[in-house]
Amino acid sequence: MTSADTIQKRKRRTLILLLAPFSVMLSVFFLIPLGIMMIYSFLEPGLYGGVEWNWYPYNYGRIIGWPLNDYEEFEPIYLKIFLNSLQIAIMTVIGTFLLCYPAAFWVSRMKGAKKNFALFLITLPFFANLLVRIYAWLLLLRPTGFFNTVLQSAGLIIEPLDLLFTNFSVIIGMVYILTPFMFLPIYANVEKLDYSLVRASQDLGANPLQTFRRVILPLTAPGIIGGSVIVFIPALGNFIVPSFLGGSKVQMTGNLIERSFLQSRDWPFGAALALLIMASVVALVVFQLSRQAKAESRGVS
Amino acid sequence: MFDKILNSKVWAFFFKGYGFLFLGFLYMPLGLIFVYSFNANSINMAVWTEFTFDWYLTIFGGASSQSSFDAAFTESPERIFEVVKHSVIVALSASTISTVIGTATAIALARYKFVGKRFYQALLILPMIVPDIVLGIALLIFFVGAGFHLSLLTVIIGHTTFLSSYVFVVVSARLAGMDTSLEQASADLGAGPITTFRRVTLPQIMPGVVGGFLLAFIISLDDVVITYFIAGVGSQTLPLFILAMMRRGLRPQINALAVLLLLFSFAVAAIGLYLRSRK
Repeated sequence: MTSADTIQKRKRRTLILLLAPFSVMLSVFFLIPLGIMMIYSFLEPGLYGGVEWNWYPYNYGRIIGWPLNDYEEFEPIYLKIFLNSLQIAIMTVIGTFLLCYPAAFWVSRMKGAKKNFALFLITLPFFANLLVRIYAWLLLLRPTGFFNTVLQSAGLIIEPLDLLFTNFSVIIGMVYILTPFMFLPIYANVEKLDYSLVRASQDLGANPLQTFRRVILPLTAPGIIGGSVIVFIPALGNFIVPSFLGGSKVQMTGNLIERSFLQSRDWPFGAALALLIMASVVALVVFQLSRQAKAESRGVS
Repeated sequence: MFDKILNSKVWAFFFKGYGFLFLGFLYMPLGLIFVYSFNANSINMAVWTEFTFDWYLTIFGGASSQSSFDAAFTESPERIFEVVKHSVIVALSASTISTVIGTATAIALARYKFVGKRFYQALLILPMIVPDIVLGIALLIFFVGAGFHLSLLTVIIGHTTFLSSYVFVVVSARLAGMDTSLEQASADLGAGPITTFRRVTLPQIMPGVVGGFLLAFIISLDDVVITYFIAGVGSQTLPLFILAMMRRGLRPQINALAVLLLLFSFAVAAIGLYLRSRK
């Protein structure tokens, strides 16, 4: 059947033609750069920026204490900053969750056009420029900002409060910019919540708290975990939020990376820090995928 | 009884109240910028003095009653026009290219079977998962190492890489809900693959393609982090320009610029969300 053969061949050619652009782009401008970054983290920093092509694992030594040579010293501050970044990212996840979970129930009980409009309003801020959203919080929190001016003119405080440049202000900024990421996955789950199971639990004598803990929470857990993962990732590597709302007082690993690339020009060290972030992200994504696969094999969606 | 609780008046009231607080949290800060942008007080924006359009006029070069102090912190209209032009060039090129690439890939994955498809699919969404800063510095190292001159071109390339993933996801969602029998009918009636695509497939996935394009356009227009690392000296975009302004201090002109950017983003996003919601 030569005609079937030619059809098969033509199909193959179309497939290759369709896949080629993305494949080439993904390899050249994504996978190769990530690979080079990985290699860079093991190279010696040049004296005036750039790199020397020598095996140099000591960039990691500065961060985690091993391996070290005569020039590189272990600086616990980098680990401390990384732990603080983890803490901020985790608090951001908790903050967005507490904010979005009740809101998801609120929207899920709406009907028709009203529901669509509420969803539209909640999604829209995602499209506001990141800088503009952070800028808004600068206007609110700074010493001459909205909150301090209002409190002062009400006579509640005399000196302006230090609202800015704290872990708290950074977390607020992060929660503000990442709320849509948490809301949508949680909402997708809450919307599908099967209320007959809730009723069954009640009929069997569970009190509202037990029903919530044993039925509602587990049923909406996939959305919560999914939302947590996609909030945690951008929060951990963020450097714009801490550079404005954290000032020089609250540093995150992202600020260290930025500085080693654009100011101290120690690229290998910055690449090593970036790999630290990447490793955390990969671990998290692998965890999430394996959890999903397990849930699928059990037949739970 | 839980759903009864949810339906009861007290809880309905509680949820409603909470809902409005939630929306207030989302919109109050943005609303504040909007109000401030009309406040003539340039020393302390939190204290209202009088209504003015001046901050908007400075953007378009028509400022009337500025003190020399304010003028020192005001960017020239030519400079603003230049960075806006850069942003539009980047956003239009990057979103156009990524729409073509993302759509082609989505069709390939939805309509063809091949070995390693699931792995490939996972690979395609990777650029969306990798933190911005990691992608930004990886591209910076690559461009400098490969001898690229950092310019608008490198920004367009960088944006296209991750925007294609977004378009791919949006168009794939559209294709997943699509009936393939029309395509088969078209093929049975003797139409070639190109005709079938142009006359049958494309019109059906068009809302997804346009939605993907608009999403890509907005994300490109608003991108700060990746652009920050791969834009050269002469290729500053509007967000980078605002970033530099914010680092020099909070001046009223930023309010006006922010409001204009916000209104534009919201308008484009609203069209995109509307198209996506249309079945």
